[in-house]
Amino acid sequence: MNTWQKISRGETQIDFVGLRRRWFYMSAALLVISALTAGIFGLNLGLEFTGGVQVQTDNRSGVSVGELEATLTELGVVDSRIQEIDEGRGIRIQTGPIPVDIEDEMVASVATAVGAPPEDVNRQAVGPTFGALVARRALLALGVFLGAVVIFISIRLQWKMALSGIVALLHDLLITIGIYAITRFEVTPATVVAALTVLGYSLYDTVVVFDRVRELEGDYGDVLTYTEIVNRSMNMVLARSINTSLTSLIPVGSILFVGSLILGAAPLRDFSLALFVGIAAGTYSSIFVASPLLALWREREVAWMDQSRRVARRRGGSEPEEAVEVEEAPKPAPTSSDLFSMEGSMPPRPPKRRRSRRRPR
Amino acid sequence: MLRRVIGLLIVVGIAWGGLVAVYLVGVEPKLGLDLQGGTSVVLTAPDDTDPDVMEYAVDIMRRRIEDVGGVQEPEISISGGTTVLVQLPGVQNEQQALDAIGRTGRLSFRPVLDSTPGLEGPLVTNTTDPPGNEVEGGSDESAVITTTTTLTLPEVPEGVDPVTGYTIEDDPDEVAYLPNFTLFGAEVLTLGPAEMTGSDVSQALPGFNNTSAQWVVNLSLNSEGSELFATLTGEAAAFAIGDPRRQIAIVLDGRIIASPQVSEDVVAGVGIAGGDAVITLGNDPAAEEQAQNLAVILRYGSLPVAFERSQVEKVSATLGSDSLQIGLVSGIAGLALVAVVLLLYYRALGLVAVLGISVFGALLIAIYALLGHFQGVTLTLAGVTGIIVAIGITADSYIVYFERIKDELRAGRTVPSAATQGFQTAFRTILTADTVSLLGATLLWVLTVGAVKGFALSLGIATILDIFVARSFTRRAAWILAHTPVGRSGWLSLPAAAGERR
Repeated sequence: MNTWQKISRGETQIDFVGLRRRWFYMSAALLVISALTAGIFGLNLGLEFTGGVQVQTDNRSGVSVGELEATLTELGVVDSRIQEIDEGRGIRIQTGPIPVDIEDEMVASVATAVGAPPEDVNRQAVGPTFGALVARRALLALGVFLGAVVIFISIRLQWKMALSGIVALLHDLLITIGIYAITRFEVTPATVVAALTVLGYSLYDTVVVFDRVRELEGDYGDVLTYTEIVNRSMNMVLARSINTSLTSLIPVGSILFVGSLILGAAPLRDFSLALFVGIAAGTYSSIFVASPLLALWREREVAWMDQSRRVARRRGGSEPEEAVEVEEAPKPAPTSSDLFSMEGSMPPRPPKRRRSRRRPR
Repeated sequence: MLRRVIGLLIVVGIAWGGLVAVYLVGVEPKLGLDLQGGTSVVLTAPDDTDPDVMEYAVDIMRRRIEDVGGVQEPEISISGGTTVLVQLPGVQNEQQALDAIGRTGRLSFRPVLDSTPGLEGPLVTNTTDPPGNEVEGGSDESAVITTTTTLTLPEVPEGVDPVTGYTIEDDPDEVAYLPNFTLFGAEVLTLGPAEMTGSDVSQALPGFNNTSAQWVVNLSLNSEGSELFATLTGEAAAFAIGDPRRQIAIVLDGRIIASPQVSEDVVAGVGIAGGDAVITLGNDPAAEEQAQNLAVILRYGSLPVAFERSQVEKVSATLGSDSLQIGLVSGIAGLALVAVVLLLYYRALGLVAVLGISVFGALLIAIYALLGHFQGVTLTLAGVTGIIVAIGITADSYIVYFERIKDELRAGRTVPSAATQGFQTAFRTILTADTVSLLGATLLWVLTVGAVKGFALSLGIATILDIFVARSFTRRAAWILAHTPVGRSGWLSLPAAAGERR
């Protein structure tokens, strides 16, 4: 049976929790890179956040950048950036925040200069305070959302699951920010939308995974340690996680690659990158960050520590913690074949029982 | 079996039939300006602006935009408390529209110098309608036609429309000719320069005078205003009752809002002193509303708040349609790939998923078409993003369910039982996860401004649809499939997709 069939059947035996250091180191490295890049280079904030004016239009008359610059200087617009786009067929002008009346005049004179009717001139102008307002509202929404989600998951699942999920979410968010810092893609309100989506997505994914953990807690709570339960859940939902991220990444990837990189639609590019990275990170972090974190945390609960001891006694071995530690022995970086042949911390599958916690219909 | 097949057909019928029906009656999703082309302007008022004032300001803006003309369906709405979103699809006179929105007009109180009955100003009124001749409203129409057909443009001073004889752009410091529509018909009033402005008014409240049984507006003036008002009314009181010059015109943005006559007990040369005045509006049912509107206008003067132009986004029709096209092409390409993956991996169940997503998509488009038609909701680029994300979430619902079916099959259940039981558990997971999405969508909708709102709306609608489709379509379809030979054995079957040999 090949690896994929194993995944598909939920029969892989990957020790997600035992190998946590690998995942944690990897995440830590990504986070450090993200934080450093964002910290040193900052983000390429769009007009919406910095304030300013962008004018974009076809250059019908073939006016040169220099001539345009002179026109703008005449109006008193000094701090401007003029570039040719579409292989010289178009013109894009960006300026800092300027007074409204000068802005209107500028658009009119640019339209005259390039010989385009005013209705064909694209303009985007943002007052310096408005961007801050948009950002502030989005942050507020984010804060309230996180609070509400913690409460909801705490009620529906468990509060430790809620907090582990939030950690995974912040992890995804920081990585997304890092990618934007590295690629220098512009951060626009559309990007913020995408980032918010990523949060929703990351949580959604974590909820699906934890829902299974909680279910198995009911089924195997008396025969397995918590770590084993988490591991088993992860192996069971692995096929779903891979399929889901695939089906979500395909449409987004299609927009990112076909839509924006090949056909060249900048507004689409700005958000599809965030979505792409974020969804990928969201799937990863549900399995490799949130779950090991949850296992570690709950293993420290008295009831589960007792359970681990009982399980160890029953199997006649040593404390299970040590068994996990053995797994941590230095090894070369895992290749995929390595991962799937991992043995040790998974006990043989107990006979499948009918679930006891079935709801009456 | 038959019952479920019929149920399934009804759901598919509603979705596809609904979409076709909606398009047949000509209702289509309304595209946002970023996809259709147009200008959108965000104006921001100071933080503590009263909601009533905002609404009043929006009214003024709407009127001004309509005056500019050349704008199809301007949409002006208050979003997020103190911001106003003005959307102008396909504007011709973009610059005038922009100017008109933000301009602070002036409220002025002016003496009436003369009244010309009819619809034309005194400077263009000619032989067909001699001044001073009382004409009823109805015959004025013909008067207009006569003059315009045999048109010889009279010499008019600059700033006066040669056809109508109205002042084009009202300057409160100059004489103006403005139309006034009263219960007794139309007239054009010749107004003197403003003697008092809106800033002299300290308070204006609507009320009902019990003694006279009339709706009134109680006006209070500040100390400077009191003197000016006394002079103004004193001058007007010099004319006899019924003389048009005994009126005071209240003018806002070049429109006569009211022209009350100074009452008979006011002494000429003295006027209404003391800084308080009462404007009586009458006792008919409309008077109450009139009193309230007038009070608001008097209280807040012209455009009541200093709006800051926070954002202008002008998207040309070409750029808009480019974005739309690219979004559609890549979205459809992506969807097709997803369908292929689902079909290959889940086989017959994949077909259920693909059909389910089509039901989901048809419903979503139909809902957007209806919302656009009845509520003016537009589909923006951010909204399209929400939909793409939602497709991912919907596809996930199928995957969660199908993986469950596979688990149940491996645990030894029969195919029909695995389909039924799998749905029970999967649906709980789907509900939990969708609740999180819905929570996020709702909070974003309530708390954010601008583009994010469009995203939140589409995500919210799609999440609810996901639950609906799972419950009404997917469950039935999977059940039916599990009870047919195709679903039970063979390469396409559920066990085959689960990797079980039966």
